[in-house]
Amino acid sequence: MSAKSARRSVIVSNPAGLHARPAAAIVQAVRRFKSKVEIRKENEVVDAGNILDLMTLCATQGTELLLTAKGPDADQVLDAVVAEFAKHYE
Amino acid sequence: MMYRMELDNGKLTRVEDGSGSIYIYVNPDEQDRKQLVETFNLDEHTLASALDPDELARLEFEPEHQAVIFKRPRNYSSADRFVFKVASTGLFLFSDKLILVLGDDVSLFQGKQFAKVASLQDLVLKMIYSSIFHFNEHLKIINTVSDALEEQINTSMQNKYLLNLFSLEKSLVYYLNSINSNAKLIERLKHNAAKIGISGESLEFIDDMFIENSQCYEQAEIYSNILASMMDARVSIVSNNLNWLIKTLTIITIAIMLPTLVVSIFSMNVSFPGKDHPAMFWLIMGLALGSVVLMRYILWWKKW
Repeated sequence: MSAKSARRSVIVSNPAGLHARPAAAIVQAVRRFKSKVEIRKENEVVDAGNILDLMTLCATQGTELLLTAKGPDADQVLDAVVAEFAKHYE
Repeated sequence: MMYRMELDNGKLTRVEDGSGSIYIYVNPDEQDRKQLVETFNLDEHTLASALDPDELARLEFEPEHQAVIFKRPRNYSSADRFVFKVASTGLFLFSDKLILVLGDDVSLFQGKQFAKVASLQDLVLKMIYSSIFHFNEHLKIINTVSDALEEQINTSMQNKYLLNLFSLEKSLVYYLNSINSNAKLIERLKHNAAKIGISGESLEFIDDMFIENSQCYEQAEIYSNILASMMDARVSIVSNNLNWLIKTLTIITIAIMLPTLVVSIFSMNVSFPGKDHPAMFWLIMGLALGSVVLMRYILWWKKW
């Protein structure tokens, strides 16, 4: 099984920032796949599958986040994570 | 900030032309408050209650309107450091309009329950129902965070994860108090339904809300009890982890100390038997190594 990698960028648009419910939904989305996802905010990198990391990320409105996935289903997991961002920030 | 919305054919839409029967005041300033008190005859104390996170949920009857204060979870932000807080919201229901007063800008009217709203009274009930749903979602998150913290505590010697658990426990106390307070409000709404203009299907909806709220309360109580009862065990785990670390460090210290002692004795600036023997260096090294082996044997024998 070859390990692929993928990258996406999202901007937090909700006035409340990355709050508890979207964070939990993102963790659940990541855990459905085999790939490991990291979220980079400026110089800080956190594991998107860890709710403690996400809830302490301090991603406020307007913050640009870089999503990086590594694993066999890297594209699919990022699709799911971006969809969660869109769902909770529309 | 103030904006208005209209309830048109069951749909809620934002209007910019100054019309609209739903007035939404977000964190009203002095001027807004003055307008609310003077123009709409809102009671100053009730208005302050709508913005006070510590105020309990309640229903009040005024000559021209009914005031509903209910509790809802506040959106969590990273600055809260695992403390999930609550906020109050004020709904002032007149015969032809509804005034919403809230302290922070939150996404109102989210969820399928707001897809079709029959009346202003229906909107009041759906907003309270939405807050119960919000509490439920936060409870699930608190449980997930608690599990994640437990995993960290199992391998950690730091206090910060324990302190985070204390924060979660504190949050659950706030939540229990708020959910219980909302239960009293729902009960009062049911008893005064006719006065408020609630009837038919909406009465059944109040019953559903009451059941949902009770289940939410029980869930919060279970999580709170689990957290409280397991706290001592978790403190012991952290303490035990620290003991293991101290033990490992002590063994390393003794393992270095004993050969150092042997070598130190033979390094004293005095004469000792056999000091000119050609094999004396290797004998000292052997003694030093032997001390390590002896210590390892004692540890094994004592099962430390």
